[in-house]
Amino acid sequence: MTRKLSRTSSRISLTVWLSLVSLLALPAAAFASEEGGLDPAAEFALPPWISIDLFGIDMSINKAVFYILLAAVLTVVVVTLLARRMTVRVNSKPQTIVEIGYSLMKDNITDGNLDPKMAAKWFPFLGTLFLFIWFSNMVGYLPLPTNTEHTLAVGGVEIPSFALYAATANISVPLVLSLVVWFSYHIEGIRAKGLFKYIRSWVPAGVDGFMVGPILAIETLSHLVRILSLSLRLYANILAGHLLLLFMAGGLVVLLEMGFLGSTILGLATGTLAVAFFLFEIGLVATLQAFIFATLSAIYLDGAVAEEH
Amino acid sequence: MAETAGRAMGLGLGTGLAALGTGIGLGFIFGKTIEAVSRQPELKSEIQSIQWLGFALTEATVFYGFIAGLIAFFV
Repeated sequence: MTRKLSRTSSRISLTVWLSLVSLLALPAAAFASEEGGLDPAAEFALPPWISIDLFGIDMSINKAVFYILLAAVLTVVVVTLLARRMTVRVNSKPQTIVEIGYSLMKDNITDGNLDPKMAAKWFPFLGTLFLFIWFSNMVGYLPLPTNTEHTLAVGGVEIPSFALYAATANISVPLVLSLVVWFSYHIEGIRAKGLFKYIRSWVPAGVDGFMVGPILAIETLSHLVRILSLSLRLYANILAGHLLLLFMAGGLVVLLEMGFLGSTILGLATGTLAVAFFLFEIGLVATLQAFIFATLSAIYLDGAVAEEH
Repeated sequence: MAETAGRAMGLGLGTGLAALGTGIGLGFIFGKTIEAVSRQPELKSEIQSIQWLGFALTEATVFYGFIAGLIAFFV
């Protein structure tokens, strides 16, 4: 029984490995075919799909816009559908998964960091933040036909070739999310304590006299740096993950095309590494970064309204 | 040519040195987690959730170096 099971599971893992390799080689092939070279940075080129020029500001609809909309629509639709299907029966699989996700958002992110009144107020925001970033990260690892610069013939029809991209791999999206969080917690702090008492509360209790000035300056700087660190953490994690995957999977394609034994073996090795990094990214980084972003937002919100610094 | 080489070295050195520090930091986090869990196994789940928070915060520092390297390379 166990042997049969293990043989089945090893066959399944082989199938998963092969399909993952071909899945990853699919978007990479588009970059590799260019002059025989490899340019993973081509993923982040954003050719306009519908050009919109608003008073000299480029507002064109492009790949990034499509990915933001996709993540937003998925967040709303999937969560609404899942919420409708919830029952009091405990033994269904989707139910268990949704309950784990809910408990992560409710217990770990919100209730673990905020007092009950603030938690009730901010749970919808923090939960949505988590889900939006999570969907955006996860959709980013699916090859979708969005690379309009190259085409691919499927059954006689020319479609855009497959590419990886994520809304969170573009600095604008994490930056805007960070700014929303930043303004939210400052406004919440000012509402709770009043402007001057709020700014005074940045200075730790027990500090007075001439040290207040320098410490206030340092704390102001640390509040400003929070915008950068919060957005850059998410952006750079996803960007580096994508670059690594494209580099490894693209290496597989380029090395296989060379066609001698050494390069084939090397290509298979980078392909295996690409699969390992792919599993690492979807298994850990995508969820962890969404979790960290929401948790830090909760911590900042709590720090703004907490009585003692 | 020399400028491109300098930029490439900036990217490589920046990311590499950042990875050095991050590697040490991650080693500390996981080592301390193992130590803490072996001292108090009943707190395992609590310690692990803090561990992942520390992991993500520490891991991000390598990417700050990476982004700074990319800025040096492209801008």
